[in-house]
Amino acid sequence: MGVLGQDIRYALRSFRRAPGFTFVALITLALGIGGTTAIFSIVDGVVLRPLPYPQPERIHRLVRVNARSTDGSFSAADYLDVKRDTKAFVSIAALREDIIDLTGRGEPQRVPGAQTTGGFFDVFMAPPIAGRVYREATDQPGAAVAVISERLWRQQFGREAGAIGTKVRINGTPTEIIGVMPATFRHPVVADVWTLSPLEVPVSPVPTDDGLSSRDVQYFMAVGRLDETAAIGAAREQLKSVGARLAREFPDTNRDRTFDAQPLAESLVADVRGALWILLGAVGFVLLIACANVAGLLMARGAARRRELAVRTAIGADRGRLMQQLMTESLVLAGAGGGLGLLAGAWILQGLMALAPDNIPRLNEVSLDWRVAAFTLAATMAVGVLFGLAPAMQASQPELNTDLKDGGRSGTTRTGARSVMVVAQVALALVLLIGAGLMITSLARLQAVDPGFRTTELVSVELLLPQARYSEPLQRQFYAGALERLRANPVTARSALIFPFPLGGSNARADFEVEGQPERPSSEDAHAELNMVSDGYFATAGLRLIDGRDFTVADGPDAPPVVIVNDAARGAFGGRSPIGARVNLGTWVTVVGVVSDARRQSLDTPPQPAVYLPYTQFVMPYMGVLVQTGQGAGATALVVRAAVADLDPELPIGEVKTIEQLISESTGQPRFRSFLLAAFAALALLLAAVGVYGLISFSVAQRVPELGVRLALGASPWQVFRLVIGRGVQLAVAGVIIGLAVAAAAARLVGGLLFNTSTTDPVIYACVSLLLLTIAALACYVPARRAMRVDPMTALRSE
Amino acid sequence: MNASAQPLIRLNGIKKVFYTDEVETHALAGIHLEIQQGEYVAIAGPSGCGKSTLLAILGLLDTASEGTYTLNGNEVANLSLSERARVRNREIGFIFQSFNLIGDLTVFENVELPLIYRGMKAAERRERANAALERVGMAHRAKHLPSQLSGGQQQRVAVARAVGGQPSILLADEPTGNLDSKNGEAVMDLLRELHRGGATICMVTHDPRYAAHADRGIHLFDGRVVEENVGTVV
Repeated sequence: MGVLGQDIRYALRSFRRAPGFTFVALITLALGIGGTTAIFSIVDGVVLRPLPYPQPERIHRLVRVNARSTDGSFSAADYLDVKRDTKAFVSIAALREDIIDLTGRGEPQRVPGAQTTGGFFDVFMAPPIAGRVYREATDQPGAAVAVISERLWRQQFGREAGAIGTKVRINGTPTEIIGVMPATFRHPVVADVWTLSPLEVPVSPVPTDDGLSSRDVQYFMAVGRLDETAAIGAAREQLKSVGARLAREFPDTNRDRTFDAQPLAESLVADVRGALWILLGAVGFVLLIACANVAGLLMARGAARRRELAVRTAIGADRGRLMQQLMTESLVLAGAGGGLGLLAGAWILQGLMALAPDNIPRLNEVSLDWRVAAFTLAATMAVGVLFGLAPAMQASQPELNTDLKDGGRSGTTRTGARSVMVVAQVALALVLLIGAGLMITSLARLQAVDPGFRTTELVSVELLLPQARYSEPLQRQFYAGALERLRANPVTARSALIFPFPLGGSNARADFEVEGQPERPSSEDAHAELNMVSDGYFATAGLRLIDGRDFTVADGPDAPPVVIVNDAARGAFGGRSPIGARVNLGTWVTVVGVVSDARRQSLDTPPQPAVYLPYTQFVMPYMGVLVQTGQGAGATALVVRAAVADLDPELPIGEVKTIEQLISESTGQPRFRSFLLAAFAALALLLAAVGVYGLISFSVAQRVPELGVRLALGASPWQVFRLVIGRGVQLAVAGVIIGLAVAAAAARLVGGLLFNTSTTDPVIYACVSLLLLTIAALACYVPARRAMRVDPMTALRSE
Repeated sequence: MNASAQPLIRLNGIKKVFYTDEVETHALAGIHLEIQQGEYVAIAGPSGCGKSTLLAILGLLDTASEGTYTLNGNEVANLSLSERARVRNREIGFIFQSFNLIGDLTVFENVELPLIYRGMKAAERRERANAALERVGMAHRAKHLPSQLSGGQQQRVAVARAVGGQPSILLADEPTGNLDSKNGEAVMDLLRELHRGGATICMVTHDPRYAAHADRGIHLFDGRVVEENVGTVV
């Protein structure tokens, strides 16, 4: 410990005496380690950290699968069969996300929640922080009880214990609050109230004729806890077997479909896992480049310390002892860099959390805790060894006789290892730049997509109705009244109703079968996107009527059911005009119009076949109003709120968003990814430029006598300039060639995240290569100018 | 090591050839040399005659191309790198022309450094380093950095570092080369005093005045010993 302590003291002292070197090295390390720490915090919180429930690995999400896709939504009858016949799960529960109106205590509030079956909390086994939870064994379906979140408890009840047992009105029904879940309980991700369904499944948002025996309408999710004695393989076999039986018994609805189970933790983050790992890899590249830079600095420093190391060797230090001292210095440097990196990581993480789109799951679990600190410590140690080893190995082999005489000035100039590192830095930076180039191009192309609807001067307002108070006729009556009031106001004169909002994330679909057309093979998707709209929606949203007519007041509840299809649905009509044709959407309807296509799911999903039903015939309690107005969201919200209050003073309006917000939210993840990758690439470019600059500067300093001889022999300053620039560009070209090969292979990893962009887009590869070579040449400019100004007499005297 | 009947150092047929760009340079061409315990030897000769190469081989800083080298009765020509480091640390004390003190270490730490490499306990290290500094009259500057000392003082510290480990032999390479005549004389007096105290010294110099301080002179020319005499070196 004494010797180690001395080495540490010496390291600290020598770093104090070289403030320039220490500052650059620490900043480089802090940026590399800080960035890695911040991204690791997100990866850890979102992907790696176990769910905060007992034995989380036993919790699974049940899904329906066919050859083409996996779907997490269940019908009532399928769910009940699975629950009855799958014995490997100790409990299975169903849940449907819901918007809940909370009244009877202060201002009416609309909060996100979930309606679940009795076994919901049996699956998660998370204990409440106050009161109790409902359970399958003790609470009957329909019991008017609710569990609330810690957030709601805090905001509405000031964390009072008396909240337990309080009666509030939930969607108009008097309900007793029986428990409070901790803030860590997040299923669904955004929920403040959990209510017990009156049935063995959540209540359907759309009326079904056959209730619990319906296999047509899938509208809720299912989760299960694996029995401690059961293996997941056995559970999956059981689910498969149930699926096969139902496919045989109910071919109309279950043909080619079966069931499966996915670990809940994995299924929650399936959409973002790949992108996050890629970002961690990218920031890892930045860290490697930072290491190479610091290694380069240490090698330059090692060259300046050749005499000192030779003296140490001469008086008895063997190579191992020198290595120990040099590695101690590297680790001290890495430790300080790691400490700063942790601080930088906390700041960067704060920034990233502010920038991250809301739809990244489990983001609330991201924190800079001991797991992240342990990662940073491990990364710091690894970094210390990584950047310290090569310089230590090089510096611990002094050329004794020469170094003792003149400090190594006349010895060989060992820049080979540094050159290799600069080539590697350039290659890594190129890979990141190409990745960023691909992402940014993809984002630009995504944002340039014509969604098929107006992209300005549209405001959406949610108008959800509590089903407990609003029967179907009342829903129709309410929406008609609201529309009438809104159209009477100049601010909202051009209003229409729609469910769901474009790019709002809804996946409502319906079976789609055209009368007289042959049945489509099961490999083809026979579904259409389902929309309920009012008259005037197409004009308000900016869709074109291609054929037929819009809905009119004549399309009332008692009129023959009608539908308007989009252009993409024409293919299902076998080349005939859709107008007048009948289609089966679970019930037979007649096509009266064809409208232009619009993207509903996301900008990167091409328009799908879609059907538009008049809300007057097919109403949903989740309609919203879309207003074409130049008055902005605030003014629109005021008018809508007044119209709603006029109809139902207890009914709050939902979220108000402009179309720009809806579009922006839908591109949030690609924008976040592109921003991060571009930031990492810019940092990598800067570090690589510093690396090239450092090496060429060092090389010029070492070659001053040689350059003096060249100048004395008649070389022009420009010839010396070209010689120095040429060396830098030579290294950069080598790095670019290697980087291009690596990028071509690595770009395949981001292929799935790109939109209309080839992973080998030659324009991006060429532009990025050119950019990097230009930056490398610029980085060589200053040392090259210095080389031009070498005074031959001074240089030769020093020789 | 056994030190009674045999010489402290015995070189037999030592040759050193440098190969650069297909050119062979014979720096040493068969050196036979013995140095007895307690002797003070000066190696002299013109520039490029091989003096420093010979001293580097004697100090195990370099290896001979041919020949045998026995130090304290042990063959040392073919030792591994770490064994050579151990022998340098325990048996040899170096005094360089350019002092070669480590700029970031204090005077005391410079003197202490070889003892640290030897694995000596802190208390003994302190005692030995202080004694060595006392011996060269530099104890009052123990906490100074080398850059705060004059050339003569730095060389005295270098001598203290060399003797602190009580080596078998002191190897001095032009120890006065970077000093003015007054400081040069002072360092030579110091070496003389150490010799009187029993130290074995082998010094390379091209200055006949300083060579005269030695008991025995060896004159090199073109890598060979061309003359040996006792008392003065030509």
